[in-house]
Amino acid sequence: MNDGRRPDVPVAEIKDLAVTFYTPRGTVRAVRDVSFEIRPGEVLGLVGESGCGKSTVAFAMMGYLPGATRVDGEILFEGRDVATMPASELQDLRGSRIAMVYQDPATALNPTMRVGLQLEEVLKEHMGLSTQEARDRAADLFESVGLADPQHIGRRYPHQLSGGMQQRVVIAMALACDPHLLIMDEPTTGLDVTTEATILDLVIELKDRVDAAILFVSHNLGVIARVADRVTVMYAGQTVEHAQARDIFKSPRHPYTSGLISCVPQPPTGEEEGNRLTSIPGAVYAAQEEGGDSCLFAPRCPIAQESCSTQAPAMATSENDHFARCTFSGDVTDEIWGEGEARNERSADQPAEPVLTARNLRRFYGRQRKKYGFFGPQGRPPVRALVGIDFEIGSGRTLGVVGESGSGKTTAARAVVGLVPRSGGELQLNGDDLARSVEKRTGSQRAAMRMVFQNPTASLNPRLPVRHAIIRSLRKLAGLTREESRDRAFELMEAVGLDPTYLDRHPQELSGGEQQRVALAGAFAASPALIVADEAVSALDVSVQAQVLNLLEEHQRETGTSYMFITHDLGVVRYVSDDILVLYAGHVAEYGPAEAVLNAPSHPYTEALLSAAPVPDPDAEPEHIRLEGSVPTLRSAFKGCAFAGRCPRKIGEICDTAPPTRQAGTGPGHDIYCHIPLRQLDAMDSSELAREIASTPAD
Amino acid sequence: MASVTSGQPHSQLVQAVAHGVTASWRMVRNELAMALKTTAGRIGLPLVAFHLLLAVFGPFLAPYPATEFQRDANNNVLQLQSPSTKYWLGTDNAGRDVLSRVMSGASSIIAVSVAGASLGIALGTIVGMSSGYKGGRTDEIVMRVMDGLMSFPSLLLALLVLSTLGANHENIIATIGVVFMPRVARVLRSVTLSLKSLEFVQSARLRGEPAPYIIFKEILPNAIPVLAVEGSVRLSYAILLASSLGFLGLGVQPPSPDWGLMISESRNFLVDAPWIGLAPAAGVATLVVGVNLLTDGLRQARGLPAGDDYE
Repeated sequence: MNDGRRPDVPVAEIKDLAVTFYTPRGTVRAVRDVSFEIRPGEVLGLVGESGCGKSTVAFAMMGYLPGATRVDGEILFEGRDVATMPASELQDLRGSRIAMVYQDPATALNPTMRVGLQLEEVLKEHMGLSTQEARDRAADLFESVGLADPQHIGRRYPHQLSGGMQQRVVIAMALACDPHLLIMDEPTTGLDVTTEATILDLVIELKDRVDAAILFVSHNLGVIARVADRVTVMYAGQTVEHAQARDIFKSPRHPYTSGLISCVPQPPTGEEEGNRLTSIPGAVYAAQEEGGDSCLFAPRCPIAQESCSTQAPAMATSENDHFARCTFSGDVTDEIWGEGEARNERSADQPAEPVLTARNLRRFYGRQRKKYGFFGPQGRPPVRALVGIDFEIGSGRTLGVVGESGSGKTTAARAVVGLVPRSGGELQLNGDDLARSVEKRTGSQRAAMRMVFQNPTASLNPRLPVRHAIIRSLRKLAGLTREESRDRAFELMEAVGLDPTYLDRHPQELSGGEQQRVALAGAFAASPALIVADEAVSALDVSVQAQVLNLLEEHQRETGTSYMFITHDLGVVRYVSDDILVLYAGHVAEYGPAEAVLNAPSHPYTEALLSAAPVPDPDAEPEHIRLEGSVPTLRSAFKGCAFAGRCPRKIGEICDTAPPTRQAGTGPGHDIYCHIPLRQLDAMDSSELAREIASTPAD
Repeated sequence: MASVTSGQPHSQLVQAVAHGVTASWRMVRNELAMALKTTAGRIGLPLVAFHLLLAVFGPFLAPYPATEFQRDANNNVLQLQSPSTKYWLGTDNAGRDVLSRVMSGASSIIAVSVAGASLGIALGTIVGMSSGYKGGRTDEIVMRVMDGLMSFPSLLLALLVLSTLGANHENIIATIGVVFMPRVARVLRSVTLSLKSLEFVQSARLRGEPAPYIIFKEILPNAIPVLAVEGSVRLSYAILLASSLGFLGLGVQPPSPDWGLMISESRNFLVDAPWIGLAPAAGVATLVVGVNLLTDGLRQARGLPAGDDYE
């Protein structure tokens, strides 16, 4: 079965790879100098921020590069160079010996074909199997990637599968011909944390089982820490560090790696208040620049010395095959990025005046009656996106809202600001009732509540200079004159750390992080009492994310603004929140002060979310609580607990027949909506019991 | 709050809308500059420009007055003369110089079609964008009315209007405008639908901007590439419609020079004196081809899909 592959002979070897694209807008040096090798049965993690050339390396290994491209160096697959191989041989190689798993499973699958047929097609094409053989093999493959009911799942169309199941199908297709090299390009980036965790478990399991070499490309250090045996860090098209995963995370020898690790929000250790996030100043070295004789990271490096800008460092090795492209790699310590100032006091117990109060907030989408009176299809019952949730945001405090996609967190944010009118319930801002839609609210109410969106590119009008959004906010909401608002816009730009000359630029001339800062400047414009941030840092690279989080925190310290912070990233929630609201299918699962929610006892859903969240530490003890499936779309009133269908701790019939009642958790204001008594929940969280339960099969 | 909208909100709004419109014109120029980078645009734009120049200066540059009967030394009317050095494109059945008539006739057809297409674009933009932005039941009703209007063949609707209201320039322009409005509205509505869900529009809503401001200042500039393409598509159909109306005798009345009318009058002499009909026909053809090439250039420059234009 092993067809002569020896574990010490690399499956793929990349030597001094450089990829240059010639585009109408100039030369782009996507990859400058990359070398690594992958051996059978290991997972090599390739990590770096966007624009570092990770994906280009992955595509180069598949031989997928467009026309006007120059490839220098060698990409050896089992000793033969992929870059110079004739197209027909390459075609044979792809899919059978080298396979790739892409980021978005929805576009990797043909939406008009049953998934089983798509897999059988691969098997017939590459392995020459007959229809019956292919069908049997397909079922085996579906089983091996952990899909339930492998005999029948092939009959489904991609849209009938959840995102996680789709990605499993894509992985099954990649594994169909026993590839020697499996390239996974951000395979979990589009998925929920809970789904991500199950896919990562699968990757780890595959590594032991199929003895293919796996190249795992990701921007997420936590994900890399969980799956990778060895890690290659890329910066500006170069490999800057290469070592065993443990060594990378425990004792990085390149300042960039060390910076990346310290940018990731981590849970505060012990009793002390955590430090502020460190952030890497500036942006990734532009791919249009030539490079020349300097370290490309020098402009952003805290330990750069004069020689760094005159001499390009080479990959130097130290003990244990640990390579780093840094002249001063011996000087890299945890402290080089600064201790980080202590964070502002988190006022955990001081009861704050509520800025925003939501009572029984509800939002249903759609109507049941027919669209055109007598005609048209019979409408379906409305989707219950929010089913009566209560929360409060105290003045100067941050409420973190978490949940998987479909849990209702974005709907909650939109109902609060009035972008979608709520279907019922009350909202009060500083004690005054808020109208349902933003158009019906008063100017001062609009000024008091601003919103920051996830996608910074779309939140600025691409056809207007960036000053537009800021100046209009100042004139409309703060009531300033044209001249006053111009001066104030200058101040705001400086406050968010941007040069005021940026005001005259167009959004597309700014990087994503800069665009998000402009959006923040607009949100800060009228000194709002509450800023609703909907996944405001999710689209940003970790180093930029840290800058934006620090900026938000600084603003809060100075002005006492409250935040409603919606995110799927538990690391970020941990870092920013005073209070946390955990939503599931439009219901509150748990609500209370951050510390109480994050620690035991917690709702089984909170527990599952926490257990799934990847941590950038290869030694982190993985708690094996995994959720399969996805959040259901509720169309009718639910008799039982909304989470019962997926709950790993379901205790019996009561979960399906009676809605969970509110239980006071630990401390004031901590609510858990679960049938399981508090004491038992607390006991379950102790790891022994957790493992015991996890080891018993769910179905 | 009162202090927030100090001054005259109404005049502010007018100002903002006016600003949006001038900014849009600047962007249209930008679109044209981009179109010049494509082969289609490089051929189409000069062709269109040539016709526009002809429309403005043609009557002054024409060698003879358009309605003058040409006579020889013996005062005989020079009917149906073949092209010569004196009459480059010959003379027609009434002895008028064909070249002069073609040159003078450019202005009427171009003025009518440009004005008609512009009116259609303006009405369609306002109706389509407002309806798309408003959404819901209003949108449903407005678009069904548009569908109703569109279900009449355009020439038939034009004939109906002109035969009741009388054929003059204003009525022809109004007719072209009304006929084209629903077609433009549909395109602009769909653009608005996709843009209105974007975050910058929602930001504007959260700032409390009134709907006209959001439509014309925030959304319209982003619809310019589509609008430029739609504008030139409409222009080419307007030219065809205007010359068809002229041909059917519902355009400019004789003896005024009009390409459609000239083609119509030349029918009886097509065998004996083909130049009478061919000259204005070539005028219409080059103009429409020029506008179509320009459309393609605009599309290619923006990477918009080759359209499924429907007349």
